[in-house]
Parts: sequence; structure tokens; C-alpha cells
Amino acid sequence: MKKWVGKILLSLLICVICAVTVVIVMLYFNFISSKIYEDSTGHLKEIYAQVNRSFGAFVERNWGLIDGWSRYVAVIDSKDTSDTEIADFIKEEKKYWGFSDFYFLSSDNRSISIYGDENALNLDEVCRCLSEQNGPVMAGAKLSAGQDVTIFAVPVEHGEYKDFDYDAIAVSYTNEDIVKSLNVNAFSGEALCFVIHNDGKVLLSTQTGGNVYNNYLTYLDAASDISDEKLKQIKRDWNSGEYGLLQCNIGNTDYCIMYQPVGYQDYIMLSVVPQSVISAGLINVQNTTTGVLIAIFLLVGITVVSIVIVRSYKQSRKNKMELQYRELMFDVLSNSVDDIFIMLDRESIGVDYISPNIERLIGISAKEARKDIRVMEKCAVNFDVVIPEEELAEIPPDGNKSWECEYVHQKTGERRWYKMTVYNMSIQTLGKYIIVLSDRTLDRQMNKQLEEALTAARSANEAKSNFLSNMSHDIRTPMNAIVGFSVLLERDADHAEKVREYTRKITASSHYLLSLINDILDMNKIESGKTSLNVDTFSLPELLEELNIILMPQVKAKQQEFRMHVTGAPPEQIIGDKLRLNQILINLLSNAIKYTPNGGKITFDVSVITPSSGQYVKLKFVVEDNGIGISDEFKEHIFAPFSREISSVTNKIQGTGLGMAITKNLVDLMGGIIEVESEIGKGSKFTVELTFARPDNEESDSWFKNNIARMLVADDEEQVCINVRELMKEAGVEVAVATSGAQAVSATMEAHESGKDFDVILLDLKMPEMDGIETARKIREKVGAYVPILVLTSNDWTEIEDDARQAGIDAFMAKPFFVSSFRHTIKPLFYDSTINDNKDNREDEPKDKSEAQDEGVMEGKLFLIVEDNEINSEILTEMLKIEGADSELAVNGREAVEMFKKSEPGHYDMILMDVQMPVMNGYEATRQIRTCEHPEAKTIPIVAMTANTFAEDVRDALESGMNGHLGKPIDMKAVRELVGKLLGKNTQ
Amino acid sequence: MKKFLSMLLTFAMAFSIAACGEENETEYDENAITIMGKKSDLAKSYMTNIFEHYKKSTGKNINIISIEDSDYEIEAERRFSEGDIPDIFMHFNNADLNRFDVENNFVYLNDESWVEDLTDGARSYCMDSDGHLIGLPYWESSVSGCYYNKTLLDSLGLNPAATQAEFDALCQALSEIGYTPICWPADGCSWMMQFGLDPVFADDPSMLQRINNNEIKYSDIPQVESMIRWISDAEVKGWFGDKYLETGMEDISSVLSSGEAAMVFIWDTWFYTDFKSGGKYNVDDFALMPVFMNTVDGGTYEGGNLNMMMVNKNSEKKEDALDFLEFCATKENYNVAFDGISTVSCFKGQTTNIQSKMVTDASASIAVHERVSTAATRVIGYSADEVASALNKLFKKEINVSECIDLMDEYRLKEAQAQGIEGF
Repeated sequence: MKKWVGKILLSLLICVICAVTVVIVMLYFNFISSKIYEDSTGHLKEIYAQVNRSFGAFVERNWGLIDGWSRYVAVIDSKDTSDTEIADFIKEEKKYWGFSDFYFLSSDNRSISIYGDENALNLDEVCRCLSEQNGPVMAGAKLSAGQDVTIFAVPVEHGEYKDFDYDAIAVSYTNEDIVKSLNVNAFSGEALCFVIHNDGKVLLSTQTGGNVYNNYLTYLDAASDISDEKLKQIKRDWNSGEYGLLQCNIGNTDYCIMYQPVGYQDYIMLSVVPQSVISAGLINVQNTTTGVLIAIFLLVGITVVSIVIVRSYKQSRKNKMELQYRELMFDVLSNSVDDIFIMLDRESIGVDYISPNIERLIGISAKEARKDIRVMEKCAVNFDVVIPEEELAEIPPDGNKSWECEYVHQKTGERRWYKMTVYNMSIQTLGKYIIVLSDRTLDRQMNKQLEEALTAARSANEAKSNFLSNMSHDIRTPMNAIVGFSVLLERDADHAEKVREYTRKITASSHYLLSLINDILDMNKIESGKTSLNVDTFSLPELLEELNIILMPQVKAKQQEFRMHVTGAPPEQIIGDKLRLNQILINLLSNAIKYTPNGGKITFDVSVITPSSGQYVKLKFVVEDNGIGISDEFKEHIFAPFSREISSVTNKIQGTGLGMAITKNLVDLMGGIIEVESEIGKGSKFTVELTFARPDNEESDSWFKNNIARMLVADDEEQVCINVRELMKEAGVEVAVATSGAQAVSATMEAHESGKDFDVILLDLKMPEMDGIETARKIREKVGAYVPILVLTSNDWTEIEDDARQAGIDAFMAKPFFVSSFRHTIKPLFYDSTINDNKDNREDEPKDKSEAQDEGVMEGKLFLIVEDNEINSEILTEMLKIEGADSELAVNGREAVEMFKKSEPGHYDMILMDVQMPVMNGYEATRQIRTCEHPEAKTIPIVAMTANTFAEDVRDALESGMNGHLGKPIDMKAVRELVGKLLGKNTQ
Repeated sequence: MKKFLSMLLTFAMAFSIAACGEENETEYDENAITIMGKKSDLAKSYMTNIFEHYKKSTGKNINIISIEDSDYEIEAERRFSEGDIPDIFMHFNNADLNRFDVENNFVYLNDESWVEDLTDGARSYCMDSDGHLIGLPYWESSVSGCYYNKTLLDSLGLNPAATQAEFDALCQALSEIGYTPICWPADGCSWMMQFGLDPVFADDPSMLQRINNNEIKYSDIPQVESMIRWISDAEVKGWFGDKYLETGMEDISSVLSSGEAAMVFIWDTWFYTDFKSGGKYNVDDFALMPVFMNTVDGGTYEGGNLNMMMVNKNSEKKEDALDFLEFCATKENYNVAFDGISTVSCFKGQTTNIQSKMVTDASASIAVHERVSTAATRVIGYSADEVASALNKLFKKEINVSECIDLMDEYRLKEAQAQGIEGF
């Protein structure tokens, strides 16, 4: 309050000082102006009094001169030569005194010059004056050319000049000459001076260029603002010869007019001076004083203003620095956080501030955003308007509103979530929106991860529940059979038929249970990432042949049609994990057989996706059936563990639901892809694509060495013929094609007759109208026995082999056609032509022989069984006894090592070593045996006999020094084979 | 039908062509002289008077070739080019006369007996640049100058001006009193400027020759710059009033008779043909003084434009034609012809014509300051309208003084080029 009162008082004081100053200045100016005006008018009076005196002197002088001349002329006039003398005299005088002309005037208003010329001068005025004055006169006249002159005339005694009677003589002066002689140059030449008659008629003036005015009184009446009353007063003054001074306005200019009598013939000397000229001094003083005052005020003002400016500058600078400091701090702070701060003007939505971290966070420069905040719209995801003005307008004063929005970083493409909070604020009466964009990406991600983890946990829990449920069911089912039949076995032990039946069912259930356990373990191992691939070079045809052999019994059992096609000439030798590839394909093919009804059709196509000429080859395996198909719902999780489609059909089919999961995982492990296409009731199609490396040196063909350049292939399936042709094309063998037996016979005949017999003939066994055997027979009839004929079939040829050989068929080949198989098959035919007769016997021989050898291989042998499990050791002991072998038992590795060390050389024939045992495991025990000093330490066969049946288990076993690996439960057939192999080798 | 229309059109065309051509008012007389002139010129009463008087006095006939005014120059040029030149050819002594090869086609008349009887102004007008008298002036004439309201000036206590300075002071005094000093009808009245330019070319024939030879331009002539600057200053000082841009020929009368304006640059006969005494002042209130436009200190008057009769020097009837001119220039005969005609005298012995009091009163001044109309008639390419157009742009502040002069030059050169004058 006090502050306001102080300010009001200070303002009042300043106003009072200003008012007093103004009053003083005005009084000063009034005083000065009146003083100066007095001085100026006094000066004016003095000047024109002087001019008046000069003019009077001029008039007096002229009259005096004329008077003198008149007397001189009167004297001369009496002479005869008077005219000439007078003329000469006047010329001399004119030259001296500067008048323009000299006149002799008659009483009748006529005149002549000194040359005797009668003038056209209007001398009415002069003559009138002469008659009135009867003395010297001064009057105006106008020359014939219009020029104004002033006449000075003096009456003289009557005389005669050049026969002209005169009564007066006169001289004339042009007005310019008179003005020059008056020398009126006061007031910078801006003043006019007139000699006028008291009736206003102008005799002469100092007006440049001549006399414009003929009556100044009339002019004043017309041009000035002088009132009629004042004009009458002026007239009175002029008539009475009074002095006077007046001020008036003429043509927007103020004049000061002074008049005073000349003293002759009622003439008035009139001076007209602009007020501005008179007041020039005053104006100068005023200007100077005003200038000084203004300078003082300016000085004071400038000082005050300077102080104010300096102080405000300092304050402003301080404020600016503080502002800059705050902005800098805020910039630094905002740069270190992931929140964007924006301040917008509420009216214009223009950007007042934007934190520089916007470029880091969403890839838009602060400069760009400052120009137009809407530039952020290009970063927005799923919303078009960044600043929804309508929604902003709804925010109450001092209120706020929040949105969640997603932005894409313009440079990195990264998506980030922000929570946008808009505050409606008023800052110093200015409406502002303060927007804070807080990065919520981590929160979102965390929430998402939590949700996913929760979902995964739920799924895992569900899977676990399903697993347990499935396991409970799947394990209990065979176990129930085993337990049940074991009870029945005990009860019906005396009935040999029932015992065999129960034993067979117990064995079957045991095998199923074993496979179930294997799958579970396999799956667990794959999923835990512990599975590794056992990569080695293997033969693709061999693998396919084995598949054919393995699957054919199942196909036969279900009377299904199974066709295997190989296209694109895949390399025969590839590098990969044969076991796992086998597992994948068996899984797919087993499923196809399993889920295809009896009499259904299954095809297995192997083709090359990328050319096989490079270092790698990409193969496509397609298993297609026309079975029950898979529903769309199940297709989505067909590769999930324990997934089985529930239907009336599948429920009758045994399965763990792990096969496809294992397959998928193995394909993934091998870097391949697996796809499924299926339709309920129409069948399924599984496609697997895998890439394999190729070995550096593949076996080079020797077709040309064997003189095989042309061959014939006959098959009612043209694709088979084409495959053969493509495969043999690489080998350089020309392949002729026949799609029926008749065509084959015909082609053979034509070739024979043209002298270009085929080097080999390949016939499909089952062809319509004429099968392979019949075709072979016809060919033999026509061309004889020297051309090798082979049968290519996907069927078992055992039953028809005899008929076929009698018909002239030299050898059999299983479909699909492989060059290597073909090579191996025909090789004996070309090296030994007699082989045809007993080839088949020789092929079958090893099998029978092996089996025969294996059957007695363990007889009389002594095995060291290393097994911690009493039951397992007992089973094994008993089984070995069945085989005619003896055994000794060690319950752990250490004991086994000790027993071996103590044994005599040749005491043990083989060690069957469990792996997981207390005290010392099988690997360590093997290593110690191999490194001990026993003479047979290096040679004694050691075979792992363990439930650890994976590839790496086999590898570990071999690496520890073992010679072989047998999985539990014990398959005596496998034991026999391995023992036969190892002991046979050792004995050799 | 088409044929009929075609014939109709042919007749119509023939009729219109004939109407554009010559019109012989009398039967052609092989023994009589032939006079060719514009239709309107030959119809003037003093012309018909002299023709009739000649026929009556001599018993001789005259063949008159009367050409439509608009076709006159083209038709005359055609005849001259074809050698079909009349015995007597009527034409004003202006730039257009150059196309008729005066030197080779017409008789110089300096030695004729009637020459001394011509007034100075009339004789000067009829001379070429080399002082050859090329025709007998036979026309009504007027004097152009500054006509001022003497009554008004007297009432205001003001004198007419005798010098440029006095004129400026007079204008200033009138302006101070509240009158428009000069009536300047800018809208369509373009003759004023030629009065100011006359002294420039009449007083210095070499100047005229150089500008017509395209050796100099207006911008090279100081007096032109003086005149334009004076006009510009006068306009700024308000000496033309505030409505001059809208004031045209038809407004002059009311402006002068009301006393709104005190002076106008015009010719005397205008007061007897166009001035309407509807206001405070009538013809008797006006007097004449020179035009002051800052090109010559004592001011100037412009003499009248006179139609001349020129004699074909190659004509077989040259002597008859000269006799006819002598008949016309005889005091008794021209007093018959111009009896009652309002005109400035061309002959010293002219007594029957009516000469205005304004001219008579100013005769002494006229005798000193009158000049033959030179700018408008002798300067090649001079166009009064174009000069006025340039000045109006100056008044509207669209251009300055030097640009105005350049524009005047531009217009003049264009006009000269349009006329096909050699050297432009």
C-alpha cells in the first residue's frame, strides 16, 4: 500500500514540476517575444524611416537638378544653337545621374524628348499634379511598351525646344532604377517597399519584376483579412499623413505592414514584411531556448532512461541467464530420462518448448518438431492425430488428461510406448498445454513378458497335467497288460498254449512300454538341448532301401499300396545323421501307414530342390497318404508334445503323441523345415526339406568301362521311366522308354534288328496286359539270352523269383531306382556271366549264414557281467545261460576292474558293462581296464549294456574304450549279433 | 438473287468512292484557272465572295476543285505524284506542306506588288525557312495570347504583367486573393503548350532546323525544360485551380465569365464564337497580354494560321494564276471579300473586317511580341495531344519533369516515324 502511495506522490510531483516548467517557459517566451517584437518593429521603423529619407533625398535631388537644368535651359534657349547645346547638356546629365529620359512638357499634356520625338507617354497624372501643385511634382506614367516609370517634373517658364512649346521639364526613372537607388535590402530581401498615393495607387514598388499592384489598398481589401473598419482607419491615416503599423494575413502568410508619409504630394511609404521575417529573431531565441530546454530534458530523460535500461538490462540478463541455466538444466535432465516434455501455446498450438531428447527417443529433431508439432504424426502408430485439439480443449483449467500411444522411432524403426499426459496450465495469464510423454515401453514389455510367462506357465502346467494324464494312461495300459498277464501266467503256468499266448502279449506290451519310455526320454533330451547329431557319410539309397524293408511288413499287413519315387538325381552319398533322418522318415511313414485304412495308398517322394552338383544338396521328402486326415484345429499344434487328435479312429490307434514333436524337433535340429497339409477324410501330406553336405569324392561311375551305353526301361508308370532316364543321363547312358510290355518287346526287336541292341533291359514287374515276366520271356524268345534283364519292383519278389528266372530275368531290384543299387545289381552280371544262375542264392546266403552263426556264438563263453541292479543281472545271467554261456557278476565298475585284473588271460571272453553304477561307472571302469597291465586289457571286448541308448551314449561308450553298445532292455538277438561280430572278429 | 446483290454492292461501293473524291461545283472551263482546296475552306464566305467578285470584275471563269476535308491530303498527294497539279493550290504553311515539294512546284512571290501590303505577321507566316514568300495569305486570322479579366484585376488593384516575373507575381497575388489565376483546360485542350514553344523555334530558326533534322531533342533544349518545369511549379502552386484536370474546352467560358479564373491562354476569335456571357463578366471585361510560359521573358503572342494560295510554277496558266492572286490582294477587292468578317488583318489596308478591341488595345504589345505559329506547324512530329498527354502524366505525378520531356520526345519521334520522315 505504502509503495503505491509513494508512486502516486512521485507521479504527482513529476507532473507539478512539468507544469511549472511549462508555465515558466511560456512566460519566458511571452516576455522574450514581446521584447523581440518591439525590437523588430522598432528596427523596421528605423529601416523604413531611413528608406523614406533616402527616397525624399532622391526626390529632392531630382527636383533640385531639374530646377537647375531649367534655369540652364532657359539661358541657352536664347541662343541659336540652343537645341543642340541643350541636347548635349541633357545627354551628359543623363549619363551622370542615370535617369532614363528627359522630357519637355507642354501645358496641353504633350511631351517631347530631347530628340524632338513626341512621346506616347500618358502624362495625364503628371499634368494634373503640376496644375494642382504648381510646383515640382512626382507622378507615375506608363511607357507605350507597358513599362512603368516615375516622372519628376518641375514647372518652368514657358520656352521652346525644337519648335515645341513647353511649360515644364521632367525626367523619368524606371521603377527598377529607383529601387536600386533606394538600396532596400533589409530582412533578407523578403520585405516589399511601396511608394503609394494616399488613395492606394502604387507609384513604385520593390517587387521583383515590376509593379504588379496598381492599387495596394484595393489589393489589401481583396487579399488580406483586414476588416473594412480597419481599412477605413488606414485610409484615414493615409489621408492625414499618419504613421501606422498593422498586422494582417495575405494568402495564408502573416505580414507586418508599416506606413509613413513620404512628405510629398500625399505619398505614403509602405513596407510589407512577413511576420516570420520579423520574428526570425524571436523564433531563433524560441528555437534556441526550446533546444536548450529539450536538451536538458533529453539529458535528464536519457540519464533516467539509461539508468532504467541498464538496470533492466542487468535484470533481463540475469533473468535470461537464469532462464538459459534452467533450460540447460532441463535439457540435460530431459536428455538423461526417457520422457519427452513439450509446452504448447493454447491458442496457436505452437511449440514454446520441446525437450531435445525427442530426437533420441522418436527420431525427430527438436528443431523440426518446434516448427510444427504435427510432424510427430508420422511416428504415430494406430492413431492419426498427435495433438487432438478437441480433446485438449475439454481439459479443465489446471486439469490433465492421459493417453497411451505408440511411436515408431524414425531412424531405428523401434516401436516404443508412451503415456501422454497433457496439463492445461496458465502461465502468467497465457494459456499453455504442458505435455509429458513418458516412456512406458519397459513396463509394457515387462507386462507382456509376465503375461507370456503366465500363459506359458499355464500351458506348461496344462501340458504337465496332460502329460501326467497321458502318461498315467499310456503307461498304465501296457503295465496293466503286463501285470494282468503275469497274474494269468502264474495261474495258467501249466497250460503251455496259454503261457505262450500270455508271454507273447506281455512281450508286446513290454515293447510298447519300452518304446513309450524311449520316446519320452528322447523328447526330453531333445527339448533340453542335449541332443546332438551324429554326422557321417551315408548312402541315401541304402537308407531308402532300409526304410522300404522296415515298412514293407506293416504295409503288407494293412494291404496298402506303397510307392516310393526318387526324382532329380539326388547324390547317393550324403553327409548327415542317418539315424535321425531315418527316425524322421520312419515317424512320418509309420504315421501314414498307421492312419491310413487298409488298402489305402501311401507315396513317398524324394526329390532334389537345389542342384546336387555343389557342395550341398537340399532334399525334399514328401510323405502323402489318403488316410483319415488331420483336422485344421489339430494341425495348429500337431507338433506339440503329447498332441493326439481325438477321434473315433485315432482312439483305437496306439500312440504317445510324441512322434511328431520329436520329428519336428529333429528337423529343427537339422536346420530343416517340416510342413503339413491335410484334409479330414482325404489324407495328409508331410513335407520335409533338409540340406545335406556332399562328400568330396563320390564313387565314379564305370558305365563306359562296362560297355553300357544304351538301355531300355519299361514301366507303365511313365514317371518311373523318366526318373531312370534322368538318373542315367548323368552317367551318360542313353535310356529308351517303354510304358508297356509290348512296347518293350517291340523296342528290343527294333534295336536288335538295327544292330543296336540294348546293353541292359529293366522291366517293371507289374504291368497291365503283359507283366515283367511275360515281357522278359518274349524278349528272350526274340533276342536270346545275352542281354541282361532286370526286374524293378516295389513288391516282394520271393514268391515269383523262380518263375522270373525261368523266364530269363537275371536279377531283381527294389523300387525306387537308384544308380548305386543298379550298379551293384548289374556288376556281377557283367563280371561273371554265370552269376545269373546263383546270384540270388549268394545274396541270401549271408543272412542265413549270419543268423546261423549268431545262434551258437555265445555257447561256452564266459561273460563278466557288470551290473548294479540285481534283477537286471539275474535276467542277463539267465538269458546267457539259455544261450549256453556262463557269467560272473561284478556289482560296480571298481569290482569289475579288480576282477578283470585278477583274471587269467583268456578267462573272460567278453565284458558286458552297465554304465550307471555306484562306486565307479562303466566308462571309468572301461578306461581303467584298457589302461591296466592285464595282457588282454586292450583286446578284451567290452560292450556297454545300458539304458542310455542315445547316439551320444553310444559315442561316449566307444570313446571310453568299449567295443559296442547294447540298449536295455536286453534284446538277445542284438546281443547275439554283436557278440558274434566281436568274438568272430577277435578270433580272426 | 446473288447477281442482283452483287450489282447492288458494286453500285454502293462506286457511289461511296465517288463521294470521297473530288467534287466539281462548276462546269470545267479549259481557259480558266483551276483552284484546289478543302471543301470547307472553299466554302468560307470570304472565299466565295472573292471568286464571285473576280468572275464579275474580270468576266473570267474559275475551275474549283473542292475535296472532302478528310481526303484532302491523300488526294492532293496523289495528284501531285501524278503531275496533276492545279494552277492554284490552297494549303496551310505547316509541316505537311513539305510533302508537296514547294521549291519545285510553286512560285516564290517575294517580288509581287502586293507583298508590302501584307502585315508583318501574315508575311512571316507565308515564308519558308529561306525567306521565300510561297503563298498569298487569304484567311481569317486571330491572335493567341493571355486573355485576362481586366475588370477583375482592376478591382483587385492588380496590373497585367509585362514580364515573366510580373506574371508570376500576378499569379501569386491572384492566388493569395483566392482566384484561380489561369484557366488550364487540361481535358482535351492541348494548344497552350505550343504558345510557349513558339519563341523557342521562331526566334532561333537553327533550332527548328536541328530538331527537324533529328539532331537534337526537346531534352537538349533548355527552354523546353524551363517551360515544363514552370508548368509543373504552377500546377503545384495551385495556379491552375483544383479542377483543371476535369476542365475541358466547353468549361472555359463558364470559368471565365464567373470570375473563377482570371486568365486563359487562347485566341481572340474564341471570344466571339464560343464565349458565353452567362456569368458576372462578358467579353468587354477581357484584355490581352502576352503568354508567359517561362520560355521568353517578355512573353509571346502566336499569330494566326493562315490558308495560303500558291501558284503552280509549271502551269501553263501561271500568269493567269498570278493575276488572280494580285486581284485578291488588291485593297478594294480584299475589303469586299472580308467585309464584316471578324479577323485580325492580314493586309495593312484592311478596313472592312472586324478586329476585336482586345487585339486592338494590345496591338503595340502584339507588334513587339507576336510570333508565327511555329511549334505546332513546323516541328516535324509535333502533336499537341501527345504533349498534353505527357503533361497530364506529369500532373498526376506519374512521371517527373525530365521524364515528361523524354515522353514528349518519344511521342514526337514516333509521329515522325509514322509519317515516314527521312532521318527519323
